[in-house]
Amino acid sequence: MPEVGAAYARVRALLPPLWRALPWRVLGAAGGSATALPALARLVSGGHDTAFALILLRSAEVALALGLAFLLDDPARHITVAVPTRRVLRNGLRLALVVPLVLLCWTVALLLVPGEIRPPAGDVGLEAAALAALALTGAAAAVRFTDEPQPGAVVAATLLAVTVLETLLPERCTLFVDVADPGWAAAHQRWAVLLLLTVPMGAALLPERIRRRRALAWTHR
Amino acid sequence: MSTVIDKAPTVFAPVETGRRPAAAVLALARFEARELLVQIPVFFFLLVYVGTTAWKLFSPREDMNNYPILHDVDRATQPGTLLLAVAAFICVNVAALRSRRHGTDRHFDVLVLEPWRRTVAHALSVVPLAAVTALGAAIEFGWAALKPGAVGHGSVAELATGPLVVLLSGVLGVLIARLCPRLAGGPLVVVVGFATLMVVSSVVGQTHWLTWLHPVVSETSNNPIPSDLLGRPAAWHALYLVGLSAVLLCVAALVSGGRTRLLKAITVVALGAMVTGIAGQSPGDDAALITARTKASSTPAAFQSCVAHGRSTYCSFPEWTGWRDDWEKVVDRIQDLAGGGAGGAPLTIRQRIPVVHQLEGDAAIEPLHTPGEVTAGTRWGGNRVPEFAVGVASVLVAGDEQAVSKMCDARVVTVMWLAMAAQDDPMTAFRHVRLDDSLSGSAVALAPTNPVGMSAEQTRIVRALLGRPLYGVTARVKAHWTELTSPRTSEARVAELLGVPAAKNGTGAGESCQK
Repeated sequence: MPEVGAAYARVRALLPPLWRALPWRVLGAAGGSATALPALARLVSGGHDTAFALILLRSAEVALALGLAFLLDDPARHITVAVPTRRVLRNGLRLALVVPLVLLCWTVALLLVPGEIRPPAGDVGLEAAALAALALTGAAAAVRFTDEPQPGAVVAATLLAVTVLETLLPERCTLFVDVADPGWAAAHQRWAVLLLLTVPMGAALLPERIRRRRALAWTHR
Repeated sequence: MSTVIDKAPTVFAPVETGRRPAAAVLALARFEARELLVQIPVFFFLLVYVGTTAWKLFSPREDMNNYPILHDVDRATQPGTLLLAVAAFICVNVAALRSRRHGTDRHFDVLVLEPWRRTVAHALSVVPLAAVTALGAAIEFGWAALKPGAVGHGSVAELATGPLVVLLSGVLGVLIARLCPRLAGGPLVVVVGFATLMVVSSVVGQTHWLTWLHPVVSETSNNPIPSDLLGRPAAWHALYLVGLSAVLLCVAALVSGGRTRLLKAITVVALGAMVTGIAGQSPGDDAALITARTKASSTPAAFQSCVAHGRSTYCSFPEWTGWRDDWEKVVDRIQDLAGGGAGGAPLTIRQRIPVVHQLEGDAAIEPLHTPGEVTAGTRWGGNRVPEFAVGVASVLVAGDEQAVSKMCDARVVTVMWLAMAAQDDPMTAFRHVRLDDSLSGSAVALAPTNPVGMSAEQTRIVRALLGRPLYGVTARVKAHWTELTSPRTSEARVAELLGVPAAKNGTGAGESCQK
């Protein structure tokens, strides 16, 4: 099967430069702060409660999402747009490279919170996944609909603004609830809905826009 | 072939244009401010800020808004501005990094405006946003102050805190942009800063001077106290915020390469202002203030003026004199409904505050021993009116406030009917004055001091009475006043006297006082 072999070879050739071109500074800063914040819960002595741990874990998940907002930044975008390898493949590979690291970061962050005050891991993980998906969808949308090579800063700012606004939502449709709150389960259904909505949207936004090129061709004629 | 230059080449003297860097900085600041205000996050957060402010002003449910306490209203303008502060931080940060993002940094090197002046201009671009915040706070406060029921004194320093926080966060955004330009991580700084602040505040607890290092210290309580007992170092705090903003701005300018003598001098002055502000706000409540608070709580009469209206005397703290007429209306209506000696009994309405240890949190007011003396709180409007009515009616029936807590008999029916029948909408007031907002079953009815416990049967009787025409019930109450206000009368007898049919399954006797 030559196609499969060729595709495999292409991916193998693509991996090292992609790995080098990842926005390591921002990702490192985000991952570092995401693991350092829950570590504070362990360092700081004194009987803290689950609400305290929840605040730290939520800060960690927002920090991770803010880092992921920069993932699709490509300073060489105007050059790579001409290469035969499609953007889906390039950005998909970026995701594949980073997602395990993010998962590792999140697991470490979760384990750093002392067990007795740790909020339900699955539910908090769901929040983190939804926020990460939101950030990546935002980045994909920015890449697709603008010509900006590095839209990450704007996406991150928007994501933070959205997060702050989320805390202002009225009680019956809020997302950030306390563990002791009776609306915890309902809020996490909303988180799941958010995740289920953003993932297909993000996937749909990954490929390059074709009509745009036609329009460009029209104008350049 | 040689060329002889017989005269020296003429060199034109440099044109003296007269450099006016301040004008250039202001022009850039104006441009950046315009750019800032059309940013989507800033615009959106402004919209939310205006919306929440308008909602607070026009909210139909909060009747207490008609009786604002101005030295609490000024403080309440602060938390809303935090939203704008976050937006200012993010957008100024993004704007300060715009040239780097677009790779135009080196083009600026050929311009005469130095990078540090550019930094200052970016920081100054927040000023219009802070002005909008100031306008919002002023409108919010002015709206409250113009209400006829407004009492108390506002403080300019408290009102200035909101705009100053917006200014501070904008300057912080510029500083972060200059300190870590590569990272493009302004939002990350917000999240990490927020979490660190949470951790630090949970570690250090409620230390006074550390608490006041926070930009916004909003100590809210449901029991306002006179403004001279507040003891909030608001003016020092405003000075601290101004000094801190100036210091951060100077640091940002120094980081960008500014080295002029004026800049260094301003840095020193700003540092001095900040330190003075911190020093001024750091000491906690002094002994004299604590003594004054205790005295105002235990012996309020020494601080108050009294006025006699009709049958009763109304005593209030100097700032609350405007509410005496409202109290009088309620007291008069209740006394008109009461029979026997209670109808003409002289009451003393005494405004009181709970024991204040710290401004935050709520404390209960201890009931009074003196016969015929009724407690009035420091809030009015909405649910506070029927609560005060319950207090007045229970003193009329039981004699004094201490006796009310031991009132576990059918007198509760008379008390609640008197209090509710004097309201404009008795049934709604009855529902809201009960802690669980119900109209059936046993519940606790709120009063300025100790609440009144109601059994299910008493609730049923009062509800039946409130559904009837007022004149009929009033006549029965006046006719049987002595028996109705006797602790020995049973619930069944009270129902019979007032003409309410007995319950089908005679239950509920005495359950109101079960603990």
